[in-house]
Amino acid sequence: MTDLLQLLFAGLSQGAIYALIAIGFVAIFAVSGVINLAQGEFAALAGLVAISARASGLPLPVAVVVAVATVAVVAVVMERLTIAPVKAMTTLVSLILTLGVSTALKALMLLVYGPNAEGLEAITPGIVTVAGVSIRYQDLWILLVAAVVSAAVYWFYDRTVTGKALRACAEQPVAARLVGISLGRASLISFLIAGIVGALAGVLSSPVYFTSWESGLALGLKGFVAATLGGLVSIRGAVLGGFVLGVLETLTAGYVSTGLRDAVAFLLLIVVLVVRPGGIFGRHAEARV
Amino acid sequence: MTVDSESVHRLSTEAPSRHRGRRGDLVSMLLLLVFLAAFPFVAPGSLVGVGVYAMIYAIAALGLSLLMGLAGQVSLGQAGFFAIGAYTQAVLVTEYAVNALLASVVAVAVTMTAALLVGLPLLRLRGHYLALATLGFGIIVAVLATESDFLGATSGIFGIEKPDVNGRVYDSATEYFLLLTPVVLVALLLARNIVESRIGRALSAVNDSEVAAESLGVDTFRLRVQVFVLSAAYASVAGTAFAHWIAVVNPNAANFPLSVKFLLMAVLGGVGSVYGAVVGAFAVEGLDDGLRRLIPELVPGAVGEVQLIGFGIALTLIMIFLPGGLHQAFQLLVGRIRRGPSDGAAPDPGAPARQVDGGPLLVREGRPEPGTPLLVVEGLTKRFGGVVAVDSLDLTVHAGEIVALIGPNGAGKTTAFNMISGAVIPTSGTVTMSGKRVEGRKPHVIAMAGATRTFQNLQIFTSSTVLGNVKVGRHLRSRAGLLRGALVLPARAEERALERSARDLVELLGLGPDADRLAVDLPFGRQRLVEIARALALEPDLLLLDEPMAGLSGAERSELALLLRRLRAGGMAIVLVEHDVEAVLALADRIAVLDDGVRIALGTPAEVRRDPAVISAYLGVETDDGSELASVEGPSAS
Amino acid sequence: MFRTRSTRVAALLAAGALALAGCAESTESDDASGGAAASDEGPIKIGAILDITGPGASLGVPERQTLELLHEQLEAAGGINGREVELLIEDNQSTEDGAAKAMSKLVNEEEVDIVLGASRTGPSLAMRPLAESSQTPMISLAANQAIVNGSEWVFKTAQNDRVVIERMIGYMEQQGYTTIGLARDASGFGEGVQEMFDEIGSDAGISVVATEKFAPDATDFTAQMVNLRNAAADVNVIWGIPPAAGLAQKAYRQLGLETPVMQSHGIGNQVFLDTAGAQADGLVAPLGRLVVADQLPDDDPQKEVIEAFIADYTEKFDMSPSTFSGHAYDGWKLAVDALEEVGTDPQAIRDHLEQVEGFVGISGVFTMTPEDHSGLQADALQLVTVENGKWKRLDDQATG
Repeated sequence: MTDLLQLLFAGLSQGAIYALIAIGFVAIFAVSGVINLAQGEFAALAGLVAISARASGLPLPVAVVVAVATVAVVAVVMERLTIAPVKAMTTLVSLILTLGVSTALKALMLLVYGPNAEGLEAITPGIVTVAGVSIRYQDLWILLVAAVVSAAVYWFYDRTVTGKALRACAEQPVAARLVGISLGRASLISFLIAGIVGALAGVLSSPVYFTSWESGLALGLKGFVAATLGGLVSIRGAVLGGFVLGVLETLTAGYVSTGLRDAVAFLLLIVVLVVRPGGIFGRHAEARV
Repeated sequence: MTVDSESVHRLSTEAPSRHRGRRGDLVSMLLLLVFLAAFPFVAPGSLVGVGVYAMIYAIAALGLSLLMGLAGQVSLGQAGFFAIGAYTQAVLVTEYAVNALLASVVAVAVTMTAALLVGLPLLRLRGHYLALATLGFGIIVAVLATESDFLGATSGIFGIEKPDVNGRVYDSATEYFLLLTPVVLVALLLARNIVESRIGRALSAVNDSEVAAESLGVDTFRLRVQVFVLSAAYASVAGTAFAHWIAVVNPNAANFPLSVKFLLMAVLGGVGSVYGAVVGAFAVEGLDDGLRRLIPELVPGAVGEVQLIGFGIALTLIMIFLPGGLHQAFQLLVGRIRRGPSDGAAPDPGAPARQVDGGPLLVREGRPEPGTPLLVVEGLTKRFGGVVAVDSLDLTVHAGEIVALIGPNGAGKTTAFNMISGAVIPTSGTVTMSGKRVEGRKPHVIAMAGATRTFQNLQIFTSSTVLGNVKVGRHLRSRAGLLRGALVLPARAEERALERSARDLVELLGLGPDADRLAVDLPFGRQRLVEIARALALEPDLLLLDEPMAGLSGAERSELALLLRRLRAGGMAIVLVEHDVEAVLALADRIAVLDDGVRIALGTPAEVRRDPAVISAYLGVETDDGSELASVEGPSAS
Repeated sequence: MFRTRSTRVAALLAAGALALAGCAESTESDDASGGAAASDEGPIKIGAILDITGPGASLGVPERQTLELLHEQLEAAGGINGREVELLIEDNQSTEDGAAKAMSKLVNEEEVDIVLGASRTGPSLAMRPLAESSQTPMISLAANQAIVNGSEWVFKTAQNDRVVIERMIGYMEQQGYTTIGLARDASGFGEGVQEMFDEIGSDAGISVVATEKFAPDATDFTAQMVNLRNAAADVNVIWGIPPAAGLAQKAYRQLGLETPVMQSHGIGNQVFLDTAGAQADGLVAPLGRLVVADQLPDDDPQKEVIEAFIADYTEKFDMSPSTFSGHAYDGWKLAVDALEEVGTDPQAIRDHLEQVEGFVGISGVFTMTPEDHSGLQADALQLVTVENGKWKRLDDQATG
């Protein structure tokens, strides 16, 4: 029982990171149908920037702010330079395009930060043991921030005029324009949001899972699987998808085989795509694209 | 519009520059041949090594290019099949000492089987969903290989000998390049032939309009699976060549970055251009090698995979500025990015079609006797949520008659029409075509039963000429499959006959002068004729026309009416949905009137135009002055 | 789509090209035969294939720096017998196929005289068949004994895993441990390790009771550590390289495991200490002398060599070298020694390496034989623990 709880908790912590990355995917996809494969690189970049900022003597909170701001700028610049100029944007074109950006970002990180994996220092170091389950304080931070951010993003899309207009963009560009949001601006905002949540995932996960120039690939792919499990257009689905994926992975690793944990994630992806393209939480196959 | 056709529409913007010049194509091919033949002798030693990898990867990229160009689908898991081929080869050669050539045949067969098993469920997905599922597939292959002790776990299988043919060992880069040259050329030729074949034509049509292609009898799912398997076969050939050259196969062979590399090669070369994949492979490998040398000199201390930065930027720039890849650049250079409409022979678009005599058309052996029930619709119903669009429609159409379906806007005509033609799945009810139950089946099943349709909002195959459009209509009247198409010769006689009959039909509809123009370049009315010609190419027993008169000039309308009468005389049954009540009253043998999804009248034009229910439906009021329907629509021609 | 009428023309062209290729083949095969022989003129070429990126980066990067440093020093000293020395470093991205690809490039295209690398076992194993078939001397910097077992052309400088395990079993025996819980690297470095523990430990009644695996790029170790906790062995062994080994160590302590933990010789660098942080304290690992150079007795035969290297390295790179730098140092010095003594004839280099005796290096004192291409024994290792984030030589050097 302790083991199960221990694994579940590890899965939730991992899942919270996936959930944050997944929110980034959904934020962009729901507005413009773009699948941003550079989402994982946002997280890796944030981790590396925070580590180097910290190493240069900045206090941790400042380093985190610097990292998030840097990535937000990178995300916005990326949107302006690579997404905005493309006239006939389709989801497939976006896949290839953002793959290019992700590759370039990766190499840039390698160039600037070198090949080694490093970890940011934890917000609160140490562990606490509850009923035999060891919990890193950092895990609690991860869960807390993920919960707050998901709620905030959800509230933004569901309750604010701007958020609603963003969601409407994909289906009713005219309606969106009525409240003063053009498709171009909506896309920009969506990248900004994706950059911020991606960066948060990066700085939060770095103390536990470490960051290197290539850690974005795995994070991005898993986050994407989580988003797909949630149907790709739903913030709530993405968050749930992240947790489901994280827990499933750790349980597989604990009870089946550590080597198969990645296979399980992608097997689930395929099954969900084939059987329920609307996501496991979607009502039915309400694929919007 | 269904979800499917929309995703196809999105895709069609993805594969650019379909209409390319034939001469430009040939020139590129020639340049490539010269390049391959000369490369190992003029390139410096270290570049030949790079060239070997380019040749190996080119084969896999070529397969991917076929999948993207023909089936309009993107795979992010091409490396998965590459790895299956490589592993099979490695196991057979090292564990069982199988001859390399025999092993490669087995390896390709194994991979194709795997591709079939993977493709059957996965190809129900489209567009980016498929791309993402294949991504998962590739990673799963890598994980399974890592977990398999038989396959050497993470370390993989090493010690694969270089192939030895008649005592000659291909162990230097130059030797291996020469060994690969014929393989790549054959792969290229087969790919080109397939693109030219009946299958290639059908798939090209699918990319332009899936629903139209299906209505002409193209079984898209089946063809997509075939191309998917073919593409995997290409990947596995590359895999076997890779295994021997690098002498080690490990799980990285299945990994995402390699799939991305294949994609980059296909995209850089130009999707939709077969030889582009080969050019792309050389460009990518050359860039890789060049950047690996260059970047450390520009940025001292730069190590490792920094050349990726160049890849990333190249990929991004190409997608933004040159979506057609190097192929497009080449076309731009040669100055024939698009065949100009000024082919000299182009007629005045407004010129009326030749008047032909009024005898029966397309009489065919084995057509049902006039008067036999052909299409039987019973209780056909469609609900969208709580709204009943069509309510228990009954309708029987006999061979050799023209039946019109009319009604006010929103009456459910188009929904009924779409259910009969297979574009919309009915909620309940039956559709029987020539004795075969077809309700809820895909359009190609209905086409095989002898019925096809045209579209109100035209679904022209935009990348084809008029003749090309009509040829797709002959899909069910020809047989050559992928293999015969690839080998060209066995399908040649059939191709000639097909060309002849398509041309006859084009002439018949007065489209002869435009036969070799791109169909989309024609004026609207003539595009409608192209659609009808295309449908007639199928030699259907039942022709379903969705508002055929819309957008036609007066002269064109009367020509069309004449044509339809002649077809009826030839024994064909015709069902048309039409807004133009005047035309319908003049043309149809019987008319069914729909209002609010319910059939309120069925009878001859004379009966219908006096039917009070019909009149009230059209006018929205009860009338008692004996007025006839036509009078509210304007003066009747009859 | 791809359309042309000229399939026939294309076919003819293809046939022509085939014919061309055919003719070409016959002319080419003549001069390809003598291609692999190394030349006696121009610079001497030393190739190195290292895990510079990917999960092995914490090994490959210092190795690369070491080779660059030594190459610089050698050039400053006038090369080898007056001949210039060219150093060609390739990154294998910590992958087997990357290593094989780089190996074939170095051997076939660059025609190097000797190859150093790879940093880890898997890539080294992938390079080995090419070294054997092209008869190119190769000195691996990795640990697994399988790299040199029965090999003719391949040598290695890192202490054999067998030697390491003997040392660890010796320590376990002394401490009275009889059961081992093992979490090992899932790649080449960890392959066969469990069997070796069982084999070497059998006389002392020590055996592995639980084995867990982790990928070199793994980040979450909860599952493995939970299973180790349940196995409740006397001692747990984490067998991997940083950063994974460090993250595993951290997870181990953070899950509240108090059982003594031992690590392999794969952790001898600062990255491990940084990664594992305070959780590294108290572990025991057999490591080369480099990391505890300052604590060595003055009569240690390696002390002088090690301290000189540390000084040079620290001056150039402003950080201290790792045991992996040491493996690269030894590989380079062995190679240069052979090239100085016998020139560039591959067979002569190979024969010379097999006769190396009492060669004082960083990782130990090498004595090779035709049967032993590794040349190090258990005395090349020191039992080391970690105290307050620093390597600390154990006073009691139990020997197995």
